[in-house]
Amino acid sequence: MNVQRPWRFSLRPARTLVRVAVAVIALTLLSGCAGWGFGGSGSGSANGPVTLVYSLWDPHEQVGYQQSIDVFEKMHPDIKVDIENVPYGSYQQKITAEFITGGAPDLFWVNTPWLGSFVKNGMLTNIAPLIKASHINMGQYYPQLVALHSVGSKIYGLPKDWDTIALYYNKAYFAKLHLAVPANLSWNANGTGSFVTFLKAATTDKSGHNALSPQFNPNQIATYALGVNNDPQGGWGNYVAEAGGKIIPFPYAPLASLTTPAVNAGMSFLTDTLTNAHVIVPGALSGPNANGNNLEQMFAQGQVAMWEEGDWNTVSVKSSVTFPVGVTTLPIGPEGRISVFNGLIDGINSHTRYPKQAWELEQWLGSAQSQAILGAGGYVWPAIKSLDPLFLKYWAKNGIDMSAFLTEAHGKVVNFPVSPGIGDALTEVGNDLGPAWLGTESASQALKTAQTDANYILRTS
Amino acid sequence: MSVAAATTVIGKRRATRVASNPDRRRRVRTAFLFLTPSLIGVVLFLVIPVIFVMVLSLTRWNLLTPIKWVGFSNYANIFRFDGFGHSLLVTAYYVVLNIPFQTVLALGLALLLNNKRTGSAFIRIICVLPFLATPVAMGVVWNWFFSPTGIINQILAHVGITGPAWLSDQATAMPVIAFASIWQYAGYNMLFFLAGLQAIPLSLYEAASIDGGTKIQQFRRVTLPLLRPALLFVLVTTVIGSFQVFDTVYVMTAGGPGNATKVANLNIYNTAFAGFRIGEASAMSVVLFLIILVITVAQFRYFNKRTTYEIG
Amino acid sequence: MASIASVKPASASVSRASTTTSPSSLGKGIRLAVFYLLLLVILLVFITPYLFSAFAAFKTLPDILAQSPARPPMHPTLENFKTIFTQYDFGRYLLNTLLVTIILTTGQVLFSMLGAFAFARMDFPGREGLFWMYLATLMVPNVVTLVPLYVMFAHSGLLNTYWAIFLPYVLGVPASVFLMRQYFMTIPKEVMEAARLDGCSESRILWRIVVPISRPIIITATLLAVVFGWNNFLWPLIVTNSNSLQVLSVATANFNSNFGVQWNLILAASLVALIPMVILFAIFQKHIVRSISLTGINR
Repeated sequence: MNVQRPWRFSLRPARTLVRVAVAVIALTLLSGCAGWGFGGSGSGSANGPVTLVYSLWDPHEQVGYQQSIDVFEKMHPDIKVDIENVPYGSYQQKITAEFITGGAPDLFWVNTPWLGSFVKNGMLTNIAPLIKASHINMGQYYPQLVALHSVGSKIYGLPKDWDTIALYYNKAYFAKLHLAVPANLSWNANGTGSFVTFLKAATTDKSGHNALSPQFNPNQIATYALGVNNDPQGGWGNYVAEAGGKIIPFPYAPLASLTTPAVNAGMSFLTDTLTNAHVIVPGALSGPNANGNNLEQMFAQGQVAMWEEGDWNTVSVKSSVTFPVGVTTLPIGPEGRISVFNGLIDGINSHTRYPKQAWELEQWLGSAQSQAILGAGGYVWPAIKSLDPLFLKYWAKNGIDMSAFLTEAHGKVVNFPVSPGIGDALTEVGNDLGPAWLGTESASQALKTAQTDANYILRTS
Repeated sequence: MSVAAATTVIGKRRATRVASNPDRRRRVRTAFLFLTPSLIGVVLFLVIPVIFVMVLSLTRWNLLTPIKWVGFSNYANIFRFDGFGHSLLVTAYYVVLNIPFQTVLALGLALLLNNKRTGSAFIRIICVLPFLATPVAMGVVWNWFFSPTGIINQILAHVGITGPAWLSDQATAMPVIAFASIWQYAGYNMLFFLAGLQAIPLSLYEAASIDGGTKIQQFRRVTLPLLRPALLFVLVTTVIGSFQVFDTVYVMTAGGPGNATKVANLNIYNTAFAGFRIGEASAMSVVLFLIILVITVAQFRYFNKRTTYEIG
Repeated sequence: MASIASVKPASASVSRASTTTSPSSLGKGIRLAVFYLLLLVILLVFITPYLFSAFAAFKTLPDILAQSPARPPMHPTLENFKTIFTQYDFGRYLLNTLLVTIILTTGQVLFSMLGAFAFARMDFPGREGLFWMYLATLMVPNVVTLVPLYVMFAHSGLLNTYWAIFLPYVLGVPASVFLMRQYFMTIPKEVMEAARLDGCSESRILWRIVVPISRPIIITATLLAVVFGWNNFLWPLIVTNSNSLQVLSVATANFNSNFGVQWNLILAASLVALIPMVILFAIFQKHIVRSISLTGINR
């Protein structure tokens, strides 16, 4: 190919390129200086004011936490706290990735699905010696929460809140049906019991017949009695527990126990019995993979009479419904009334640059003063037992009686399972159980697949 | 040797070189100096990682706890537990949707626009515009276009068709993703076909038409064979690129609905950077690499068997 | 005889299309009409995503939801851009992307050019072998190096820095080297040999002789690098965590996942990512379209 232009001397390109190269090097060096370092992402010198970074996900609770932090900052003028909201969907990944890159927050919320992984990865500080040195009374907290966050003699955070699962119900709907919502319904694995009967009475088709009536048309249901989702905490977890089943045999177990007869009984009660009785929202309607995403809206629109969920949904329920809402306890199963019990802690970054200040903040958030602010503002149930009435009072003033959640907390509860990788494992379990909820597979078959997948993840996490 | 003498032996390498050792040594040193930055880049960021990923594929590791050596078990597990087999199938489906349509479209555009009519030059430029789009940003625009109440369904409604929920329907999600890619790269690939077309000597067409060939016959007997290098280039690069599709899928469907668009690269990303399973993700990378390699080699051999020769 | 058509001289013409005169002017008219119809369709298909999202970026959210996307904004507003630049830090993301792209492009083009020149016109032991290595790595798909590079960067403490974003590319990439080497090989050796005999160093030959006549390919390589750096997504996604380091592509994706159906903001964000490249292209489009043919892919 011929050269199109004669070559000619030109100093311009060379000079320009040299200038550009110098600029590149300068920029590169500058940007390197602007890079971020290791350790906690907080800032500050040893003697000057220290800024801690505190990560959480719930924007409603964040308001309460900000109030609590404001008080803390007044009491500790040398510590500032920056609250960073990290969306729940990617929270575990983000915090882990930040830990790997060396920029993790100094304190961060830890939820039980990833508590085991964080512990195993060495991301959390063991605060047992600090608790002893500061003489903190661990008896003030719910003992199940202390156990949940302990591994042997180590403990990874001060309990600060708890959740149970109960049934939100549409008071107006039940009033219209002249149906009282009893407190002590019960169910048996074979499908008998007052619970099923009640649910039938509460399900109405478009012509107004309930499911007990011979003219009931299951293809024309206007309102389902109950919405339960494919979830180990807010959904089937409670029925499995009430049948005596366990998701994993013991905390930090490297395998699942989903194929036991008890788990099968609890699961198929939901996927077979209640589905065949047409009293619960079918899996396909409740959301992708029956995850219940649609249930809140259906409840607000009057298509579901009772919505089984955890108490953290109260703010959302209050703002989306137009009818008075009541809360009643879960039904009583073969092993009694059992709710899944969970609570968060604030984990201290094991590589924080300000361990002293981080412990100050941790102590504050675990203290009665801070938890009173959060309880009285109706943000969350405080982990300190004596402060529960504050939360109850707030919601009573706002028209919702939350005592059902409290009754369950004082009764039999089973902790959310904790083990490295359990969060991912339960996501897989949810995927594998989907067909059972959609009616295309038996519960026992779905549980077998779920068991295999969960075992692999638990074993390799 | 004088300059005059040197220039009289143009084209003969040895004769024009003054064989002085210090001078040659200096030039060799300069050559290596020139080569060093890119050599460091290639070795450090390409060669070493390829070896390293194969090593990593034999481990179980999450970057925070000690490494465990598990031999080749990852290669079995990614198919049994991580759904990698399904991901490969999904990716293959995408490749099958993407490559033929894109290649044909690129060739068609090149044939259509390879003239001097008014507007052709302008449209040629317009065709390259999509190539510049940040796939993620354009994916967002497609989300808007293909949303259930978006413009695509609005247009369909005008002709009386109720459009599906494009990105929520397992049957239509992947075709939409393929469409986004075809839209993005058809114009860019058109450029290579244009270059190929313009390199075909006119004399060949004259000869073919003298022989009494129709336009279509000329296309088959002259154009297509001589476009083989361009075709090979486009096919190889688009296939390699297609197997690694990520940006569009990430922002448009995130692998959904269900697993319908969970392509291999997305699976690797989730496994490595959401699940922090370095060993499994490395095994997936190696398998994907081997598949791409085999297909690329196959493409080269297929085309080499039917090489056309230089026409003088 | 009728088939020997009006042949245009090769050098002046862009078009090499076969040129038999059509039998009737009506047929020719129809063909022309179809041609321009196709051009119109192409124009619409390739322009409307840019155009409509540009319209939407200047509308308020209710207007976007109520009106057809094809309607230009009646009362264009800068609110969306104001919001994303003041409340959501997009100014920072824009600067990040600019910084990273400039560094990446400068380094990549400069060092690839040096390497290409070495391979094309300099003689040194091992040249063939090394070039084969470069060629071989051309075949390595990006996905293969993701995980190992991440691990390497993690252990060097370079994660979550600006370095991490451009380092794998700034020292030159085989594709760029290959592109420019092919072009350099078309420069007659005599030119350089003569200069060598005159006593020119290799460096002078490169800067004073080769570079000035290689403007088209250098511009092409630069533009390709700019487009790559600007649009790169997966690597910056995994290698940066802090919000302050995000580049536009990552920021847009995060924005999209956090703001569901706030199309006014999301489309404004996309536009910020899309428009700079369009502007750049408008300035340099002659070079792009011309220089692809100079790469000699038919070799």
